[in-house]
Amino acid sequence: MKKIAGNSNIEVIDMSEEAHLNQNQHPHQHQHNHQHQQTQRQKYGYFLGCVMPAKMPWAEKATFLVARHLGLDFDYMKETVCCVRPGVWKPLNPDWWLILTGQNLATAEMQKIIMVDSCNGCYISHYECLEELKGEPEKMEMVNRALKGAGLSLRGNLEIRHFLEVLYEDVGIERIRRSVVRPLKLRVTRHIGCHARVHGDRLLNYFDEVLRATGVEIVDTPYDRACCGLLLYLSDPATSIFRRAGIKLERAMEEKADGLVIICSGCYDQFERAVRVYKEERGVDLKSPVVHLSELLALSFGYRPEDFGMVYRRPIPVTGIIEKLKLKLKEEEGGR
Amino acid sequence: MEEVKSWKKLLEAGQKVTESNRKEEERIYPLRREFNPVAPDIAKSALKRDFEVGLVYPVDESVEKDRELSGLKRRPPTAHLFKEALERKRKILEGAGIMKEMGYEKDSGKFKY
Repeated sequence: MKKIAGNSNIEVIDMSEEAHLNQNQHPHQHQHNHQHQQTQRQKYGYFLGCVMPAKMPWAEKATFLVARHLGLDFDYMKETVCCVRPGVWKPLNPDWWLILTGQNLATAEMQKIIMVDSCNGCYISHYECLEELKGEPEKMEMVNRALKGAGLSLRGNLEIRHFLEVLYEDVGIERIRRSVVRPLKLRVTRHIGCHARVHGDRLLNYFDEVLRATGVEIVDTPYDRACCGLLLYLSDPATSIFRRAGIKLERAMEEKADGLVIICSGCYDQFERAVRVYKEERGVDLKSPVVHLSELLALSFGYRPEDFGMVYRRPIPVTGIIEKLKLKLKEEEGGR
Repeated sequence: MEEVKSWKKLLEAGQKVTESNRKEEERIYPLRREFNPVAPDIAKSALKRDFEVGLVYPVDESVEKDRELSGLKRRPPTAHLFKEALERKRKILEGAGIMKEMGYEKDSGKFKY
């Protein structure tokens, strides 16, 4: 495998080495990895959503570094619009939600990609919309009538994957562990987000296992499964900010955690809002930065913070994490 | 309930893009049947952006700069870059009668109620 840290031109893992790695695997892994290799040849289209491109450039870049480092055929899904937010549009009119979400589904189908979401809200909107339309032909017909005017059509012949599924099921946790060259000596709290738990704890477990693979120590808190309060903000802002997002960030500070780790851009939006409200309306500086799982993966794979612009557009600086990384690098260099 | 100023601002932003002043109308016509508009005021400013940009958050010069510093292209390959995606969205919104039912007028960029 070619090492990449410090080089913005990403080297994708050589498949001959992948073949070598597979020769050394335990026999019972064969079937799973065979399936994984088949999936890997498929083209993934990453759906950015609304929040990530505008507020989380570090997460966007880190996600691409990680996905390509792991050998995935991973590119942007292009020509996307808002997912559309199911928490807003479903209560307005569930048929409108189906119709508007249908645009992204039809675009993904046309682009012949596996649509990948890392924002739980986007994932649940696309996934549940597709399931509903595939199960109810009259609704599929209704959506297609609306799409036709825009020159689009949807057959439902596509796959929606959460980025955690891609990492855990398609790449595999062993390969992720093997890619970690610089285990992170950080203590973190984590927030998985409600929409990743709607269909059971599978994604929650993937999140924890992948996060642990980076070497971090996960600090459990009583609020790990609590909602970030994003949708509650519309009707009860005080509870949403101070009793949901805020309490998690306060706890991370109490635990002296290096950061609060998230995967969902929708949740990130809410945490960012909470940071602003605490500062502007209460004069309180929340100190534990909110970091994306992809950033920690990238760092543990040997990338440097500057490879994905870790310091830019951060309401809470990530200086503490970067200092710790630098210290570790110095120790490594000193030990040589 | 503890007041959150940013929420109040968001609500006011929604009221600002609404043509009819319901409070004033309720005062003038007290016997008029109560009417709940489809789009709540608190969600209107985000809905308006969604209709105008295709996404909830715009990508302005300062975002573009930070994207570039992070090693990304300045414009993401979303409706921010592909205006045809936004055009398709608008056609769907209009064709399905969603804008009309919401009382959103694209020329003025305002909700009627």
